[in-house]
Amino acid sequence: MLVFCCLIGSIIVQAQQKTNSNKPSTASLDSAYLLHPFRDKVQAFKKSVKKEFNQVFIDFKDNKVYLLSGIGFSKQFINASGYNSSFNYDLANNKSAFKPGYYAGFRVDGIYKENHLYSFGFVLDRISSGTDYSSSISLQPFIGDFSRFKADDQFLHLMIAAHYKKLLPFKPNERSKFYVVGGPSIDTRLSGQSADNLVNNNYHRFLIRADIGLEYENQSFYTLFMHYKQGVTSFTRSPVSTYLNSLEIGLMIKASDLF
Amino acid sequence: MKKSILIICSSLFLLTSCKKDTTGAEINLTYQMIAEKVWYLDYSQTTTSAGTTTKTYLGQSTYFVKFLKNLSTVDSDGLNGSFIVEKANGILQIHVKAKTVGSNTLEYIYNIETVGANNMILYYLSAGSTIKFYYNTSH
Repeated sequence: MLVFCCLIGSIIVQAQQKTNSNKPSTASLDSAYLLHPFRDKVQAFKKSVKKEFNQVFIDFKDNKVYLLSGIGFSKQFINASGYNSSFNYDLANNKSAFKPGYYAGFRVDGIYKENHLYSFGFVLDRISSGTDYSSSISLQPFIGDFSRFKADDQFLHLMIAAHYKKLLPFKPNERSKFYVVGGPSIDTRLSGQSADNLVNNNYHRFLIRADIGLEYENQSFYTLFMHYKQGVTSFTRSPVSTYLNSLEIGLMIKASDLF
Repeated sequence: MKKSILIICSSLFLLTSCKKDTTGAEINLTYQMIAEKVWYLDYSQTTTSAGTTTKTYLGQSTYFVKFLKNLSTVDSDGLNGSFIVEKANGILQIHVKAKTVGSNTLEYIYNIETVGANNMILYYLSAGSTIKFYYNTSH
């Protein structure tokens, strides 16, 4: 009986709270009569951006937002033959392998003019990179190979990519779709340079890479992908040329399925 | 809209146009490379118009010098004092002010040809010859 009374009591209290919450508060009534210059400006800006967006991207339809994450193996191919500095780095312990990093971001996939599949990606990329030096110097009579340039091996990038997607005719079953994708990406280096490279401010802020990959979509539940990125522009200033290449493997899920 | 484009362009310009103080970075890196290590003399080389003579001290009891983080230095000859790294006429230098065992003041400057985590080549010019010292941290 006591439990029943408590239950009835709590239902009544909740019902009263609901009735109260439907009524506009005094503060919100006051706010409706006040001027909000900042909020109005933000609303106007949003409206103008939306209008511009709809005008420019009129042919970009059926946009879906995906969240993506994965692992990336990266390596820098370095030629520092013409570079001069007062510092030397022993190449004896240099690891010339693709090193693993990780990344996460989101991607908008859609159709252009109802015929061409595309995607735009925005990704934060934590890169760990191996280094491959194509040239070395000797400091005889010291034994060994040396370089006057030392490549950084840790970076944080903001990557913006645009891809063209093509559905492959290969279809093992009804649920599976395979795509081949390709396009350019612009990497912006957000991390600083090491003390070794601050000496001549060697690294560029921006890097352009070409991206080609294969994607497997399982009935719109998830997409697995593998991309290879080839550096198009040098990551370092002349006379050092450094091309950052990566192999990325990842998973992509529709944002609406998660939130 | 124009305002937004102007702000984005200005930000990009500021992001890319900042010029770093590279000389300061070079001197700091040199301190990092040489400090808290014992540098053993492995080879000395004298180059004159007649040719180059190389002396090796590998496997022998040899001269060594130690540079510390607090900018003090001590060497195997008993010299004790302070040092600074500086750049003059585009050349990095180690400038040492020290006292001998007999308390005589001694000041000398070596030019840095190259310095690394484990290898360092210093040199000075004297009467038309170049004298180079090859130091290593392991002996």
